[in-house]
Amino acid sequence: MTKTFTIALLGNPNCGKSSLFNQLTGLRQKVGNFPGVTVDKKVGKLALGNRQEVSIIDFPGTYSFYPTSIDERIVVQSLSNPNDENYPDAVVYVADVTKLEKHLLLLTQLRDLGLPLILALNMADVAGQQGLEVSTELLRKQLGVPVVMLSGRTGAGVDDLKRLLEEMIEQPGAYAATAPFFSMSGQEKAVADAAKAIVPGANTYQGLLIAHHYEWLPFLSEAQRALLKDTSEEHGFVSLSSQVGETMQRFDRFTPTVRSALKSKESNEKGITERLDTILTHRFFGPLIFFGLMLLVFQAIFAWAGTPMEWIETFFTFVGDQVREILPAGWFTDLLTDGIIAGLGGVLVFIPQITILFLLIAILEEVGYMARAAFMFDQVMQSFGLNGRSIVALVSGGACAIPAIMSTRTIGNWKERLITILVTPFISCSARIPVYTVLVGFVVPPRTVLGIFNMQGLAFMGLYLLGIVSALGAAYIFKLILKTREQSFLMLELPEYRVPVARNVGLTVWEKVQSFVVEAGKIILGVSIILWFLASYGPPGEMAAAEAEALSAAQQLQLDETETDNLIASRKIEASFAGHIGKAVEPVIRPLGYDWKIGIALITSFAAREVFVGTMATIYSIGSADDEFTVRERMAQERNPLTGEPVYNLATALSLLLFYVFAMQCMSTVAVVKRETKSWKWPAIQFAFMTGLAYLSGLLAYQLLS
Amino acid sequence: MVATVGQQNELNQAKPGLKGEVSHFSNERIGSKLMAMGVLPGSQIEYIRKAPFGGGCYVKVDNVLLGLRKAEAASIVLK
Repeated sequence: MTKTFTIALLGNPNCGKSSLFNQLTGLRQKVGNFPGVTVDKKVGKLALGNRQEVSIIDFPGTYSFYPTSIDERIVVQSLSNPNDENYPDAVVYVADVTKLEKHLLLLTQLRDLGLPLILALNMADVAGQQGLEVSTELLRKQLGVPVVMLSGRTGAGVDDLKRLLEEMIEQPGAYAATAPFFSMSGQEKAVADAAKAIVPGANTYQGLLIAHHYEWLPFLSEAQRALLKDTSEEHGFVSLSSQVGETMQRFDRFTPTVRSALKSKESNEKGITERLDTILTHRFFGPLIFFGLMLLVFQAIFAWAGTPMEWIETFFTFVGDQVREILPAGWFTDLLTDGIIAGLGGVLVFIPQITILFLLIAILEEVGYMARAAFMFDQVMQSFGLNGRSIVALVSGGACAIPAIMSTRTIGNWKERLITILVTPFISCSARIPVYTVLVGFVVPPRTVLGIFNMQGLAFMGLYLLGIVSALGAAYIFKLILKTREQSFLMLELPEYRVPVARNVGLTVWEKVQSFVVEAGKIILGVSIILWFLASYGPPGEMAAAEAEALSAAQQLQLDETETDNLIASRKIEASFAGHIGKAVEPVIRPLGYDWKIGIALITSFAAREVFVGTMATIYSIGSADDEFTVRERMAQERNPLTGEPVYNLATALSLLLFYVFAMQCMSTVAVVKRETKSWKWPAIQFAFMTGLAYLSGLLAYQLLS
Repeated sequence: MVATVGQQNELNQAKPGLKGEVSHFSNERIGSKLMAMGVLPGSQIEYIRKAPFGGGCYVKVDNVLLGLRKAEAASIVLK
């Protein structure tokens, strides 16, 4: 055997499939992508007995072979075509034994593919607690598939599944169904046979699936599609009614089996989940509790992330200093310290925030709360072209747009997901806080109004509100522009509340943090190196001339060593490529009230917003960038050389604030949007409209006020 | 027994607390998706509460809890 034996893990959403996948593969899993789509493909390795490893693909949870979202289409696309790269050698079907009547539709469909198949009855622990008795023998006989009881949460029964898998690999044929579960009508048989003839190796049921889905199945050619269309019309085949008929026939066949195989204790008592939901999804208290929880999540991020973020910054400063001491001075050392190490630090400093946010969201998700939040806010979100699930991303965006955008993967409908991704960066993230802190003072005096409200505090809140309003407004515009044929559904199962499993939460957080560091890290690192180059080098001779000039000026003014260094840094940045670029863009930003120095800060801010403060410190030759208030004082003294007026008056400062509220100034976000949408088109559009809005609002504010 | 579109016994026109049996679906596309989730003609359905903001419905179908949009609930016709 040259190819690794591949097992597909399939099941309905909320069947506990991921728990079982984590039990089987642990850390030996990789996240890839299904070809051509943004759906995550998790592949894990499992060693069975003495045999070579098998690989397990965790497919997205789906209810049937009649998909309504891109996630679910993957399952049909991979299983209807025996030549697909993800076509498995065998299937493990996971069903929640406490809801077996609802979970067997897809099993009977899979059975008809003719693949070796095992039915894993999950949640055996819960079934035990509920006093549910299951006759696996009866199920095995009547459904014609081997059955194993297990619990993905506790690990009970997982060894039985592994033993069964070993036997199955030895004799795959014995585990495949011989006769189909579903009997087709003559008309269905006719179109299925026609489709089967097109795809080599397909069986009749696969043929029927292809006949149902020929319009979008990617492995068909246009000619094949036309042929299938003709065949369908010729036989009067209507996909939707055939689909309903098939579903009914399957349920009619397996429902009596399930009823005779399962003995449950009848109880009319409301479960703990229903009792909790009386409050948690209450019309008034539900949303209140949600906002309370989100407030706690935020508090946690700001309270817990600060210290580790400082450690990371200190660590990278330390490493940079060490490298500077060990290596001889020169361009390579500069590149290493100011470019690469500083750039790496810029990425890794976000890890504490991302980890905490993902941890809390993963816990809320594991517990089953997120489905409730999506349910409660679906109506409001829909009116803005978003989905109930978008609320999670929008709230997370207040910490950092990167994990927020990554959390949109839970949104099935592509249009709703895309809009969420496009508008989330409008929500003021933590990187805007230092910029707001510096600028707010120029716009609003630190006065107290109405006895308790600090005017600057109110202005801060106003900026946050402005972000939220613009996110929803932009979403509404995209809702009108973007078209999709994919129907949007809520139809959300609200799973029972469960105590979270540490392994599942841990693996989710690990996978997301890891992918952020690797993927976004590559781009941030590249940009940091370019910025370093632009700020450190200038046209030949100019940098040296600037340095010499600054030195003699410092001697004349009798500056001390620190002041001299600061002056040199300031003059050098003016002479550098970055300085030249700043001067080149000055005509463009002049109508907004900005000079070339602000121009440089704007340009460097496109790597990340918080760079603004540091750049200002460098340009105005203040030694330490740590203190936002020193920077502010120095900026307040800055005068226009021609008019003698302060540069940072109300008009300029307000214009700058608005620019930072709206502009897309974060390379990491651009990188993540590119990764999540699989194209440069969407981040480019997002960049253009956000920055365009920033420019217009800045222009308007400056022109009206000055 | 068979009701047609727009009649009183569509689920979204009921009041929370109503229990009944699913008869059929007035929208075939939504119906087929609901059927795949196990909401079938003959299923016992209980309308538990309205969602916040007057949006959807929180329902219990046999032993499964579902959140449905208004349009989704409207396509369920009760006996």
